[in-house]
Amino acid sequence: MSAAATPTSLAARIEPYMGILGPMAMIAMIALFMGAVEPARYFRMSNINQILLDAALYMPMAMAMTFVITQRGIDLSIGSVAALSAIMMAFLIKQYDFPAWVAVIICLALGAGMGLINGLVITVFRVPDLIGTLAMDLVYRGFALVLAKGLVLARFPDLITEIGRGQTLQFLPTPVVIGLLTLIAGYILLRATHFGRYTIAIGSNPEASEMTGISVDRHRVYAYVLMGTMAALAGLMLTGKLNAVQATSAPYFNLHVIAAVVVGGTSLFGGRASMIGSLAGVLLLSMMINALVTLRIEFFWQSVASGVVIILSVAIYTWLQKKDRDGSGGMAAVIANPDNRKIGLLAIGLAVAILVLLALGAALGGPATT
Amino acid sequence: MSDPTPIIEMHGITKRFGGVTALRNVDLTAYAGEVLAIVGDNGAGKSTLIKVLTGVYQPTEGHMTFDGAPLVMSSHADAITNGIDAVYQNLAIADHLTPAQNLFLGSELTKRVMGIPILDNREMTEQATAVLKDRLGVQLKSMDVMTESLSGGQRQAVAIARAVRHDDLRVLVMDEPTAALGPQETARTLKLIEVLKDQGLAVIVISHALDDVFEISDRIHVMRRGECAGVVRTAETTSQEVLGLITGANLTQGGAAA
Repeated sequence: MSAAATPTSLAARIEPYMGILGPMAMIAMIALFMGAVEPARYFRMSNINQILLDAALYMPMAMAMTFVITQRGIDLSIGSVAALSAIMMAFLIKQYDFPAWVAVIICLALGAGMGLINGLVITVFRVPDLIGTLAMDLVYRGFALVLAKGLVLARFPDLITEIGRGQTLQFLPTPVVIGLLTLIAGYILLRATHFGRYTIAIGSNPEASEMTGISVDRHRVYAYVLMGTMAALAGLMLTGKLNAVQATSAPYFNLHVIAAVVVGGTSLFGGRASMIGSLAGVLLLSMMINALVTLRIEFFWQSVASGVVIILSVAIYTWLQKKDRDGSGGMAAVIANPDNRKIGLLAIGLAVAILVLLALGAALGGPATT
Repeated sequence: MSDPTPIIEMHGITKRFGGVTALRNVDLTAYAGEVLAIVGDNGAGKSTLIKVLTGVYQPTEGHMTFDGAPLVMSSHADAITNGIDAVYQNLAIADHLTPAQNLFLGSELTKRVMGIPILDNREMTEQATAVLKDRLGVQLKSMDVMTESLSGGQRQAVAIARAVRHDDLRVLVMDEPTAALGPQETARTLKLIEVLKDQGLAVIVISHALDDVFEISDRIHVMRRGECAGVVRTAETTSQEVLGLITGANLTQGGAAA
C-alpha cells in the first residue's frame, strides 16, 4: 500500500476503523452511482424513508448477531425464530384476545426461550453451532407451519403497526428509532459490561478465557438468548410493517444479518466486534437492495448481490488483517507472489464474468419487467 | 538463600494418573527473593509438578506447607487466593483485548451508574499502567491497542503483570517464559524475573534453556523420570553437572564437575 520505509503505518492506523470505513466507502459508492444513474427516484424522501424502514428491521438482529459472531458462534435460526414468535403473538391477539402489549412481551419472551434452547443445544449437547442452529431453524419453521398452516394472519392492533411502521415520532419512523436504540444498547453492552468484555475474550481465546475463570458456556448462552429476543423483536416489527404474518415470513433473515455484521468488520474468526460497523453494514445492504429495485433489476438478483458482498468483505478483511510479523514486506510482496497473482487474476476474471452476466440480465430482463 | 524459612514446601509428592506414576516422592522448597529453576527432559514431570503446586492437580500422596502452615488446594482459584499464581507458556492472553482489559480479565473493576454496575474502563487502564510501570518497569507506547499488536516480550509482561497485580502474590510460577522469544526479548524477560525476585517474590521458572537458567536462577531443581534428580546451587555448579543430572549419565559427579 504505502512505501517500503513505512510498511505498516498507514494500514495500521486505518485498521481499527476499517469496520466503519469499508461500508462507508461502499455506501458512498452506491450513493455516487445512484446519484449518476437515478438521482431523482433514489434520493426522494419517500425512498430514503423506505431504505431506513427496511434497515430498521435488521438493526436489532445485527446487534445481537455481532455478539454471537464475536464469540465465534453463528445463528442460522433467526428467520424461523422471528416467524414462529410472531405467529404465536398473532394467535394470542387474534384468537385469544390478549391485549397487544401483553402479546408483545410474550413474543419477546418466546424469542428469548428459543434462543435459550439454541444456546443449550450448542453448549450442553455440544452440537456445533452451524448444525445446531440450522437444525433448530427447521424445527422452529416446522412449528410455525404446524400452527398457522397456510393462514395469513392480518389486521393487528395499533401498537403492533406502530412498532412496525409508525411515524408518531415525526423526525424518524418508530421502527428506526427502536432499531437505533437496540444498537446503542448493544454498544454499551459491548463496551461496559462483563458480558461484552467476556464476549470478546471468548472469541479471541476461548481456552485463555476458561483459564481466567470466565464461565464460557454461560456467556455463550447469554448471546443466543439475546439473539433470540432480538429475532422475535424483528418478527414483531415485520408483522407490524406488513400488518400481516404467515409461517413462511422472514425467509432469509439469517444470511442478510450475517452479511451486514460481517461487512461491518466483525470478524467471523472471533474477537473483533464493531457495533457501528454493524449499523453501517445494515444500511449498506438496505441501500444496495433498494438500489437494485430502483434500477428495476429483477428482485431475485438481490440474493446474488448479498452473497457476493459476504464473500468479498470476508476475503478483504482477512487479507487486511494478515499481520506482517515476519517482515515479508507487506501487501506489495503478497501481490508480487506469483500464486497470489494467479488468484487475483482469477478473482478479476470472475468479477468481470459476474458483471457481464449482470449487464446481460439488466439488458434482457429490464424491458420485460417495466 | 535470603530467608531461612521457605515460603512453600512440598514433601513426598506423588501423583498417579491411573497406572502411570507421573511424580514419585518429590520434595521441593522455594524461598522468598529467590529464583528456583526446574529443569528436566520432556516427560520428566516438570509440568505435573507445577500443576500440583498451582492447585490444578491434587497430589495422590504427600503434603505441602505454605509459610509453615499446611496447605490443601482443591483448585487453581485456591492457589490464587493463597498468593500462588502461574504464567503459562501460551500466556492465556486474549489477543483482541487491550493490555488493561487482559490484566483484569475475569475480575473486572466496576462502578455504579444509576445503580447499575458497569465496567470502569478508565480505572482499569490507570491501574494496569501503574502495575506495569511500578512492578515491572515496563511502559507501553499505548494502552489502547490490542494486545495482539505487542511484541512477544511485552505480551509476556502483560501476562506477568496480571499475576503480580494481586498485592498478596508470594509465589510466581513461570512455564517456559523464554521459549518463544528472540534474544532481545529473552533478555528483557529475564530482567523482569530479576525485578520480581528483588521484590521478594519466590519465582519458580521452568525452562529448557540452560543458558537462561544459569543467568537468573539461584538454585536448580532437576527432574528426571518423575523423581527429583537433585537440587543444586547455581553458583556452585556447571552446566555439565546439570546436564548429567538431567540425562542420568555421568553419575560419578566428582569427575564431571571438576
